[in-house]
Amino acid sequence: MQIQIKCSCGDKCPEWAIVELQGTVEVQPHFQETLQNLQIGQLCRPSSQETYTFTVGYHELTGAKVKLKKPQLVLKKVKHSDSERVELEVIGIIRQRILFKTRPKALISKPQPTVKGKNKVPDASAVPMED
Amino acid sequence: MEQPNPNPGCRGAEAVLNLGSSSSIPISYHPLFGSHDDIMLLELDEKLLPDILNQRVVVRGQPDEDAVLCTQSKTYAIKFVGNSNSIFLIPPSDQSDFPDTIVDPNEKDPNPQAVASVIKVAPGNMELVEVAPRLDKLKILLLENPYRSEEDTEMDLEMTERGLYKWNHLVDRVQASDDELRSGLQALSAVEINGYWRVVDEKYMDMMLRMLLHNSVLNDWSLEELGQDKVVDVLKSDGFPCKLAEHCLYVYGQKLSGGTGTSCMWKLDEKRVCVHFAREILRGGRKKMDNFMEEWKRKIPEGMEASLEMLEGEVLTEKLGVDSWVRPFSVSSLPSEPAKRFSMLFKERSKWEWNDLHPYIKDLTVPGLSSDGLLLKYTRRTQPTPTSEPVFCAR
Repeated sequence: MQIQIKCSCGDKCPEWAIVELQGTVEVQPHFQETLQNLQIGQLCRPSSQETYTFTVGYHELTGAKVKLKKPQLVLKKVKHSDSERVELEVIGIIRQRILFKTRPKALISKPQPTVKGKNKVPDASAVPMED
Repeated sequence: MEQPNPNPGCRGAEAVLNLGSSSSIPISYHPLFGSHDDIMLLELDEKLLPDILNQRVVVRGQPDEDAVLCTQSKTYAIKFVGNSNSIFLIPPSDQSDFPDTIVDPNEKDPNPQAVASVIKVAPGNMELVEVAPRLDKLKILLLENPYRSEEDTEMDLEMTERGLYKWNHLVDRVQASDDELRSGLQALSAVEINGYWRVVDEKYMDMMLRMLLHNSVLNDWSLEELGQDKVVDVLKSDGFPCKLAEHCLYVYGQKLSGGTGTSCMWKLDEKRVCVHFAREILRGGRKKMDNFMEEWKRKIPEGMEASLEMLEGEVLTEKLGVDSWVRPFSVSSLPSEPAKRFSMLFKERSKWEWNDLHPYIKDLTVPGLSSDGLLLKYTRRTQPTPTSEPVFCAR
């Protein structure tokens, strides 16, 4: 049995992106069945460096864009209706990923210890880059 | 507080990969997010990319076998590597398989929202490991129906074509690249007859060789300069088909340079001819060394010299009492997969000295493993005294 690997990309294969984090993203039970279109989080690049933050719920992850040691191809299994034949089609290539390896930082406000003589000012909770 | 995004409306993978400084983008589940089991990731060396992108790569294997990926000349095992991380796969915004917007021509939004959508969370990726071609199956297939003399006169083609394999049948069943498959056929001395790849029965080859030698003597031909058309003619007149006659020259001789087509000249290969006769003599089992050598010298053609070194990898010699015995044990009858090969060798003999062992393992190839590495992996090496020969036994 032979499965041909086809590629109609021509010169350049469309480049896909990977955002990779340790652990899993939990979806609130209410939304389990209708994940589609649901926002997961916000990806930010705070400076000109290739460092990134990813804010999911009240967690903030810090990571970086890294070049993959070896490229990965995105393959799609195609079953032709007219024949038994199965083919694999190259539909994309991945050369970089945004990898988050750190422990998430919880974005919750912490009360500041009171300072004598000064008015107690509540600490502003850390906010994501975009409202 | 809204941060400026240099590319308003930029979506998909390109938005993530080109995210500018002091910018941000929401990451969402794609409208078509799902398990998409038909989408998989394959990690490979940069150097293999041109082959895949130019469609020169194919996956081979039967449903009950582990799949391999073949380029023109190499074979790779395909392994799945799981990853406990969450790998969010984001396609480019114009990926036709996964349109992320439903474009309504009446409602053209001049500023489509910037978002990068995740189509799937990948459980891991596949990777390639170069392996030796799995050619033992080729031998098994071709040995199902070796070409025998009965077929010379077989009229009913349909009868004879059952259980036979053409090239396209072989690539369907053998897990090897095209180049490796061709080498495998050559190593088996296979011949293509009527489009079917065949190995020829040993008795048949023996008959043809003897006829060739007999006629060489009759016609006073030099075995170092045999005319192809003369040889084929004489074999044809004895009932051998042209294709088989040519194959006889190919198996036992070497083409001399110069000359084209049927006017080629051939020289018989002394080693191949002598080995053939040795195998014939030992067909009945082991023989005493003295008797064997005497019979062997008698049977080989005039002008050829037989020596025991020629039979490395073909016979084993043993001392039983005062006598030396020789018995057939051909490396060509052993499996090509290293673990199986060593298992057979140690079944035959529990201890091997290097000089005896080497001819039976020198053809083993495992990409990434040297011959020392092979020994280390499959044998235990002992050396009774510092000056004696090392001895190898099973691990």
